[in-house]
Amino acid sequence: MARAKDKVRRGVSGNPKGAKSRKRIAVEARGLSRGKDRAASPYSEEFVPEIDTTIAGVHFQNPVLTASGTFGYGQEFAHLIDLDQLGGIVVKGISAEPMAGNPSPRIYETEAGMLNAIGLQNVGAKRFLEEKLPFLRTLRARCIVNVFGYSTEDYVRCIEILNEGDGIHAYELNISCPNTRAGGMIYGNDPKLTEEVVGAAKSAARFPVIVKLSPNVTDITVTARAAEAAGADALSLVNTLVGMAIDIETRTPRISNVTGGLSGPAIKPVALRMVYQTARAVKVPVIGLGGIATPEDALEYLIAGAQAVQVGTANFYAPGTSLRIIQGIRDYCRRQRLHLADLVGSLRVPEKLAPKAKMSEA
Amino acid sequence: MYDDIVAVTENRPLAGGHFLLSVRAPRQAQATRPGQFAMLRVLGRSDILLRRPMSIYDVTAASSQRPKGRRPKQTETVQFLYKIVGRGTRLMSELKRGDQLGLLGPLGHGFFAEDYLPQAQEAEEALHVAGGIGIAALLLAARQLAQAGFRQRLFFGGRTKDDLVGADKFKPLVRQTVLATEDSSVGHHGFVTRPLEAFLARHRNKKYLLMACGPWAMLQATVAAARQYGHPCLVSLENRMGCGLGVCLGCCIRVDGEGHSAYQRVCTEGPAFWADKIVWETESLVKT
Repeated sequence: MARAKDKVRRGVSGNPKGAKSRKRIAVEARGLSRGKDRAASPYSEEFVPEIDTTIAGVHFQNPVLTASGTFGYGQEFAHLIDLDQLGGIVVKGISAEPMAGNPSPRIYETEAGMLNAIGLQNVGAKRFLEEKLPFLRTLRARCIVNVFGYSTEDYVRCIEILNEGDGIHAYELNISCPNTRAGGMIYGNDPKLTEEVVGAAKSAARFPVIVKLSPNVTDITVTARAAEAAGADALSLVNTLVGMAIDIETRTPRISNVTGGLSGPAIKPVALRMVYQTARAVKVPVIGLGGIATPEDALEYLIAGAQAVQVGTANFYAPGTSLRIIQGIRDYCRRQRLHLADLVGSLRVPEKLAPKAKMSEA
Repeated sequence: MYDDIVAVTENRPLAGGHFLLSVRAPRQAQATRPGQFAMLRVLGRSDILLRRPMSIYDVTAASSQRPKGRRPKQTETVQFLYKIVGRGTRLMSELKRGDQLGLLGPLGHGFFAEDYLPQAQEAEEALHVAGGIGIAALLLAARQLAQAGFRQRLFFGGRTKDDLVGADKFKPLVRQTVLATEDSSVGHHGFVTRPLEAFLARHRNKKYLLMACGPWAMLQATVAAARQYGHPCLVSLENRMGCGLGVCLGCCIRVDGEGHSAYQRVCTEGPAFWADKIVWETESLVKT
């Protein structure tokens, strides 16, 4: 934590151009005043928890981000919530070229969740820079751009275009796409492909690279370690779980793509388990997501080892969810007299039941 | 667009599993323009998450119980006409006066946004074509056109006579109402597009504006008839929606365009579209 704070003071906030110097001063000022509280005993009455966090060299004012594909490009929510309060915004997946997406129907609501097969419709990297980034740049929330492609070259080309962007703090690499050249093999399901694409992206990227892992694997720690070995600065997990639903009257799939990604509270226990396993298997920071809709959900992820969380599907039906979660985390930390850093990975579990400790520490 | 928790003032059961839901929502009521919709959320359920998109059927002044002369009546009630089709609408049907509901709206591109107006004004008469609950999207438009002095007719079809709810509010606005049911329980026998086609065939030299909302097959037939006789046609589309805000891209439909512009969002670019914009050859969207 102290190290993170030093980084902020030195100005390593993940903003390469220092475009937000005024805001950074404000952050520093708050950091100092909170430093005083921290110097006081954590048992003193005026305990003010620190809930800021630094991941992949990027400083977030709090650990709550909005997940890719559920928050557009931020602007769509500007008149509904105060975007400046968010830790970060992960924008809709961007590819080198614009993409049309899948035919309708693309979504279907299931029990406590939803299936989607949007088909990665997006405006493409160039239009993102011209039309979407200027607004995101004005926010205090950190801007993370989700990147995808159908070949390693696609990813690299997309990153090379986005590297020109001013105000991007990090990339999130979506490795759940099928690699068309490897016969439709999903990058994120194969450790070798994962290493290849993460390594290439890392060499091309001007900003830190967060790798978003697919849950549709037997052992997520295998791809997690592969991504870490290839240079990932952080990991985020999980993407959606592949599922399906059928209309029994017409005996047709509920969505045009036949299968789709399941998200929402229905997947939370599975995603939480994977975050727990991964946080213990790698050294790089882990960002947890999957069905987070309440402060309690987010706290579970943090205790399991996530250094930050992303809110996804809940944005669709309750746009204020992220802000309620931020407040809920703050309240919890105050009540428990914990700073965020003390909370992360603090799960109490009998040693003999814990999965193997981090490989690097063994 | 406002995102509020609002109170139900009435949830009146009508024939055939239809309901007329009224909520007190002054901000939404005053901002609503014809053809817009809202997203409704039943609160307190963790298994049913997403809001449901519904056409704004009507906006009305507060109930007349307010003492006279206190202050001018303001538009503050929003009404929705819906039919039980799934879990969400079944839950909605259980709402009672005083219950709370999440209401996001008004949303979407209505019928008479700037670029839609000129073509509409050229018409001598407006023909509304409604299939079942699709009528809910047309009432506000009919009222606005009536105020502008348009002559109008309503073609209204359903499976059976219980599907033809909501026509009464059109009575003062239109010079003729043509009904059709598939089971002949009232009006013409069969699809409503048959009397529509016959009407257009009889009045070839008039300029009509068609406005349609209903099942995909009805829209296809309506648009085909409009094309055949050279009349402009506006349609109001429905689709499953995740957010209503334009971010989930779940409601996109195939439109006339290449590459990235091949799909548009019903919630944002629609729900009202010029019929020519839509690729009608694609399969039906969704039933619910």
